[in-house]
Amino acid sequence: MSENNENPAGADRINLEAPTSPTREQRANGITAFNGKASELAAKARKGELKNCERDFQQNAGCLLNFYLTVRVATIRDSSMVIHAPVGCSAPAALYREVFRRLFTAMNKPQDFDFHWLTTNIGEKDVIYGAADKLRFALEESHRRYSPEAIFILTSCASGIIGEDVEGVVSEVKDRIPAVIVPIHCEGIRSRVIQTGYDAFWHGILKYLVKKPEKKQKDLVNVASMLSYTWQDRQEITRLLKKIGLRPNFVPEFASVRDFQTLSEAALTAPVCPTYTDYLSRGLEQEYGVPYFLYPSPIGIANTDEWLRNIGRILHKEGEVEKVIKEERAVWVPRMDAVRRSFDEIKKRNGGKYHVMGSLGQGRLVTQTPFFHELGVTTPVALCQDFDDLLLDEVEELLKRVGDFDIVVNTFQAAEVAHTARRYDPDMVLSCPFQGSAYKREKGMTRIHALRGDGRKWSAQAGYSGAVACGNFLLQATKNRSFQNIMLKKTDDPYKEWFYRQDDPYYFHKKEAEGGV
Amino acid sequence: MTLTVVGGDGDFQAVEYPEVTESPRFTCALGGAYGAALATFGAVPILHSGAGCGMANAHGMTYAAGLNSGGACGTTTTPCSGLIEEHVVFGGEDKLRRLIKSTLELMKGELFVVISGCVPALIGDDVDSVVAEFKDQAPVIHVKSSGFVGNAYLGYDLYLDAVIDGLLEPPRAVEKRLVNIFGIVPNQNVFWKGELKVLKSLLEKIGAKVNTVFSDFGSLGNLKRIPEAQLNILFNPNSGLSACRKLKERFETPFLNFGRVPVGPKETAEFLRLAGKALKIPQKKIEGVIFEEERDVYRHMEYLAEMFMVSMPHASAAFIGDARTVVSLLRYGVNELGWIPSLAIITDDPPPETRDEIARLLTEDLEVALKPRVLFEYDSHRVRLALREEPLQVILGSSLEKYIAQKESEAHHLSVSFPVYDRLVVDRSYAGFRGGINLLEDMSQNFGGPL
Repeated sequence: MSENNENPAGADRINLEAPTSPTREQRANGITAFNGKASELAAKARKGELKNCERDFQQNAGCLLNFYLTVRVATIRDSSMVIHAPVGCSAPAALYREVFRRLFTAMNKPQDFDFHWLTTNIGEKDVIYGAADKLRFALEESHRRYSPEAIFILTSCASGIIGEDVEGVVSEVKDRIPAVIVPIHCEGIRSRVIQTGYDAFWHGILKYLVKKPEKKQKDLVNVASMLSYTWQDRQEITRLLKKIGLRPNFVPEFASVRDFQTLSEAALTAPVCPTYTDYLSRGLEQEYGVPYFLYPSPIGIANTDEWLRNIGRILHKEGEVEKVIKEERAVWVPRMDAVRRSFDEIKKRNGGKYHVMGSLGQGRLVTQTPFFHELGVTTPVALCQDFDDLLLDEVEELLKRVGDFDIVVNTFQAAEVAHTARRYDPDMVLSCPFQGSAYKREKGMTRIHALRGDGRKWSAQAGYSGAVACGNFLLQATKNRSFQNIMLKKTDDPYKEWFYRQDDPYYFHKKEAEGGV
Repeated sequence: MTLTVVGGDGDFQAVEYPEVTESPRFTCALGGAYGAALATFGAVPILHSGAGCGMANAHGMTYAAGLNSGGACGTTTTPCSGLIEEHVVFGGEDKLRRLIKSTLELMKGELFVVISGCVPALIGDDVDSVVAEFKDQAPVIHVKSSGFVGNAYLGYDLYLDAVIDGLLEPPRAVEKRLVNIFGIVPNQNVFWKGELKVLKSLLEKIGAKVNTVFSDFGSLGNLKRIPEAQLNILFNPNSGLSACRKLKERFETPFLNFGRVPVGPKETAEFLRLAGKALKIPQKKIEGVIFEEERDVYRHMEYLAEMFMVSMPHASAAFIGDARTVVSLLRYGVNELGWIPSLAIITDDPPPETRDEIARLLTEDLEVALKPRVLFEYDSHRVRLALREEPLQVILGSSLEKYIAQKESEAHHLSVSFPVYDRLVVDRSYAGFRGGINLLEDMSQNFGGPL
């Protein structure tokens, strides 16, 4: 029943006997560096010729653990988390008690959540003698303190290098602790591709937490989404599913342990971010026959139509879906047209074009690019966090639809991004949050997305209302550039000028990685 | 389903591994050293670590310090070697060599600070040798600060240690009335930028010249000038103490340890008198400054006094944070605002030999017979249990206490110690004569209307 699984690498059977998932490099030839035409990238991927490269100059980018499993796993209700690591690895999760409370319960935020996590605080003695005793104590203490339904163990570079036997500790204590213990192997050193961390997380979920279905729930749709989709996006997806008689089972943020256990009972797994959801979707189909599709995400009007149609086709609700699409289009398409007309006006004053450069995840690459075209703006170059075989069909399809474009693959490499922005000089740069000095520009610049804790309608992206909100957001960004202009003028650029005069942003990027595929 | 916290009556029996904790209030030594390098304006940190260490400390340290990005070289701008398995197998030295070389070519900087984390230490990289290869190309120092050696406060000390060993030469002459400021730990002390500004301007008012070491323009020069000072002033009972001792040993610079940042007129006057004495500044000059400043502050206090007497008079207060911050705010709250000190929870895990002095600063010379209960505890669960045992009207702590204060204590809360995820702090502070007024302004933003 599943679509899009012809790909040889991605279609490999998921081995739940193994302690963890393979890396993205092993599973799908994942890479984190490329500069060239999208057609060339796709052709190389098709021939299995993608190679990872070692950078001489490299910048902070996030790791398997901290992009951002710590923050996300900490939001799982009636569970607790144990970070088996030195104290700094868990630091980002220190916002667990307050940040998500900004959301309103009136917006279906779960009431009275109370999250807990522990760090084993690996110290100098532990790296010599091992920290298994501390991990055991942390699991027992978790139970004593919080009586959680599940305990997630997140591993680190340090626990990996010193060779901690996490599974051994788990089997030792599991009879004494009623909670289901879920080890997740997200050692930062495992992989260049941070999405390996997501696969490792889903592997733990599939292996330890998902239960055999007690009964199938015909109206339940699993939706796993990135932290980069806001609370409003959840609301919009819920609204649309409700109109065709379906309910979302959102994981992982704010899900309860039971929501994970019943992933197997759902009628379907639908994507918000395809490469993020990939491992879970395949695993649920393989183990429990839950059908799935990976493309498209509900970003933009046409993609949302198609997302709904896929759901309708798989769940035999074609008629209801067409009715909803018709109703929704009647409301939102005129508003989208208004946004496009405004961009048309801007284009008239701007030599007939409006160029946008977006920093995108792999999933956003294939969904956001057609959305930009809906707005009437063009994308001479796309920045992509990483790239692998999983979405190759979709990228080829995208090339057919929108034509060839340049693509720069890098994971948060701020200097390469700055170089690319200078080289292409687009009218608008849409940057990931936390992207160094990218906001300092003469021309337009704004953020490409907000984050889960943002409940404002202004920051919505998904579905029909999100498409219009996002279009309006971009339009608003064209109106005033004083902040980025003044910051550009009055503060120093961190990079020397000669770098920008090189043709290649990968000036420091020369050799193939040792042993890297 | 909601989890409840068990053992509400204070579950403080000894545990096997006290360092296994819920959300401790600090990041690791690498974070502390990285934060200090970022705070040295004009220096470029180079992380020799896993790819996530810098991002973890952006979100878990600079953002936790009042939603800051770390400045010009922070977040994704920081060079990082991003070590993975193949480096674990083959070593990371070559990767580091290429990273330093390319950073020197690409990035503008006066000083380059290689900060090595857990991975190179565990695989035995000889980082010092690689760094030494660049000694004649640019000022490069190495801070060996693996995350597993300790917390961010230790990382601050390790950074200063690397600066002293790697950069400082005996001075040609000591500059009269030049002082260095130590003990304001970037990020872990969330008001560090504002505090340095206020302390600098205070000391300048009595005629001193001030090297804030951190935050000011001219990083390399500021660091190199450290040995020229007549006096080092330490505003912390713990962090920075080792640096002050080392500077005394190496350059014979005496140090004055005030143990906290002065908040409000009483503490600030006491500090200026001590500093004036140590710098041999005429007493008359000091008293003149104190008279003018005090007069101005108390005059302005009259504007807020009525509202204050309605909102939080004689409040039973809990103070949660690193020792320095708790001492500062408790002494101000008790000695100037008339609060009752119920609880002081010290969250920076200071070494045992400094704890008596910290307890003394929290219990002596207070305008109240009641002594606060002093706990050394950084486990957020245990802090929560301790708060439940006291009736409280004011909680000055971290943003971890924000909802607990409202829901479990019905107390007035303000985030003043690490982590602070609920307010933007750029150069705000509570230091100096006027600091108390700032504190009350911030505390009262949700308490509007006279009736």
